Amino acid sequence: MSRIIDRSMDIGEFVPQPDDDMLICRCEEITKGEIRRAVHDGMWTITEIRRYLRTGMGLCQGQTCSRLVKGIVARELHISPAELEPATSRSPMRPTEMKVMGNEEA
Amino acid sequence: MERYEVIIVGAGPSGLSAAIEAAKRGLKVIVFDENDKPGGQLFKQIHKFFGSKEHHAKIRGFRIGEQLLEEAAEAGVEVQLGATVIGLYSDKEVNVRIGDSIRHYKGDTVIVATGAAENMVTFPGWTLPGVIGAGAAQTMMNIHGIRPGKKVLMLGSGNVGLVVSFQLLQAGCEVVALVDAAPRIGGYGVHAAKVARCGVPFYLSHTITKAHGEDHVTGVTISEVDSHFTPIEGTEKTFEVDTICMAVGLSPMSQLLKMAGCEMEDNPKRGGQVPIIDDFGETSVSGIFAAGDVSGIEEASSAMIEGRMAGVCVSEYLGYLSEEEKEAELKKLEGDLDSLRQGMFAPKNRGKLIEKTDEGIDVSMNLLQKGYVSDDEIERFPGVVHRKGVHPVIECTQNIPCNPCQDACPKKCISTGDNITFLPFIKDDCECSNCGMCVASCSGQAIFLVDEDCGDGTATITLPYEFLPLPQVGDTGYGLSRSGEKLCEAEVVLVRSLKAFDHTNLLTMRVPKEYAMKARFFTKD
Amino acid sequence: MNRIEEHPILGKKEERQEVTFTFDGRELKGFEGEPIAIALKANGVLIHRYTKKEHKPRGIFCAIGRCTDCVMVVDGKPNIRTCVTPLKAGMVVKTQNGVEV
Repeated sequence: MSRIIDRSMDIGEFVPQPDDDMLICRCEEITKGEIRRAVHDGMWTITEIRRYLRTGMGLCQGQTCSRLVKGIVARELHISPAELEPATSRSPMRPTEMKVMGNEEA
Repeated sequence: MERYEVIIVGAGPSGLSAAIEAAKRGLKVIVFDENDKPGGQLFKQIHKFFGSKEHHAKIRGFRIGEQLLEEAAEAGVEVQLGATVIGLYSDKEVNVRIGDSIRHYKGDTVIVATGAAENMVTFPGWTLPGVIGAGAAQTMMNIHGIRPGKKVLMLGSGNVGLVVSFQLLQAGCEVVALVDAAPRIGGYGVHAAKVARCGVPFYLSHTITKAHGEDHVTGVTISEVDSHFTPIEGTEKTFEVDTICMAVGLSPMSQLLKMAGCEMEDNPKRGGQVPIIDDFGETSVSGIFAAGDVSGIEEASSAMIEGRMAGVCVSEYLGYLSEEEKEAELKKLEGDLDSLRQGMFAPKNRGKLIEKTDEGIDVSMNLLQKGYVSDDEIERFPGVVHRKGVHPVIECTQNIPCNPCQDACPKKCISTGDNITFLPFIKDDCECSNCGMCVASCSGQAIFLVDEDCGDGTATITLPYEFLPLPQVGDTGYGLSRSGEKLCEAEVVLVRSLKAFDHTNLLTMRVPKEYAMKARFFTKD
Repeated sequence: MNRIEEHPILGKKEERQEVTFTFDGRELKGFEGEPIAIALKANGVLIHRYTKKEHKPRGIFCAIGRCTDCVMVVDGKPNIRTCVTPLKAGMVVKTQNGVEV
């Protein structure tokens, strides 16, 4: 079920904060500031943030950072994390090598 | 593609319980688990569980795990380890990675029991080697037999933070502080008390502002926070540590359910993204069930009952049980589950500040803020009595569904009244035989045997002792207060380690009699 | 020595086979079958890899094979999660730089 966010909403200007250099996505080394800036660049859903910045696309596939990223994006949009459209859940649910994906046994 | 009547994802306590219920009724069950050993988090729990006999109270977590595995083997449950379920589809097909290949399985029903993952908080330096999750500390100590570090700071005062702090002490680590941004301790008071009397200071309304070190943790700075969780300048405290443990909550790993098209909701009371389920675990997709922490963060005891309920439901769904049989089974299980969901820490009470116990007694605020009941508060509680000769003193001050103490006493001195959630009290006509069973049976280690006046100006106190090295008769040292401060000189006069006590040694120390109701722990010179 | 010799609840660990392996060229000892990360920790090794962008040190974080911070190059293969991979005699373990060898 997708929640549609009103894209004409005014979320204010990007205001630099002292903890903008805090690492959030450990695998891809993305900082809080980069995530917040991405929201102001127009990325308003987790899927968009993921494709724009690669948060959640590294080795651990978002298992460590997803909740943190969700909180930061929601706060920037001035909504509760519960209102934010969650990332798509798609197979493979765990990091899997290509050679394994190609080795299907019926 | 192999077909099973029930596919269960996760061989933790709820997955195995579900498998047992289904397999014993003759269903063709398979359980997939991505780890190389079954049991989920259960084998890391070395403390005695709470609850009643039906809930495996007084039994250590890993032993409950062993019992579950035995039951599963007897019921003929098939467990495939090293099998990662990477996809679950609404028609109940499952993609599993085993080794270097992907296999497909079809289930008539699916039970998802994948549990939860740890949350994180960030602070400068949180990626340094030495910062670990509380679960990592447990895995290292209790599975692999290695200390996570020498000096540890624990962040988080929920049950995980409290229990793991105690386990760190048992493993021989020093816990320099227990920190939580909240103003009150989130976990059971008795878990906090065990840690506080060993001298671990609690810093509530504090947060970590920095982890120090170039390429690994060498220290940490914490700071008090205001009601908006903003650090207050000038309140910084720095500790020398090599390890920082994070115990800041769990989030259900419910992505497989979302993928299969189950209706989900974001429910903070349940821990985050959870499937919408009926009372017995069925999701919005007919034939797909969820049990255990994945449907809402609780405990292993509730996970096992939820697993059993799901197992019963799939049995009826596939025609192995009649509707009436299912109702009867579920009614009993629901009763067990309900009795766990009572008291101060019940899911329905999460977030509420409860100021009085069910009996109308003021809850100890000191316990909630500092981890120990103060001397002037302790006398309020029904388990704290003054009698002639050796008698139990029960420092159980919060309503939690738990009653091993009631069953432990051969003389029937202890009772929790009509309801296992009530505070235990000592009967008026109690004739204590000093057997020590109550001290050893209390999972919260909150019962002491006290002789307030031995006649020679001294008192004796028998306390539970689960550390090494075990003191010996004749050892001298100090009696510590509930907050871990040295109060008085003490001498060990008796040490009992019976098999029936299950590794809870009973240490009896002699102290000056004015400390009979104050000294609650012993440390050698 | 950070191995727990005797635990107050769990007692002593069962007898295990001691084996040698190499870490960045150094010969170290560990027990066969235990996670590589634990054998390294017992030898005082805390850093498993350096990150790709900022070359920052990482070590054990979750210890259950989920966060991938402990990955190292093992017997020539990169991105091996050392906290869930059992140690075998003669294994060659190297600090990983970035995500490739």
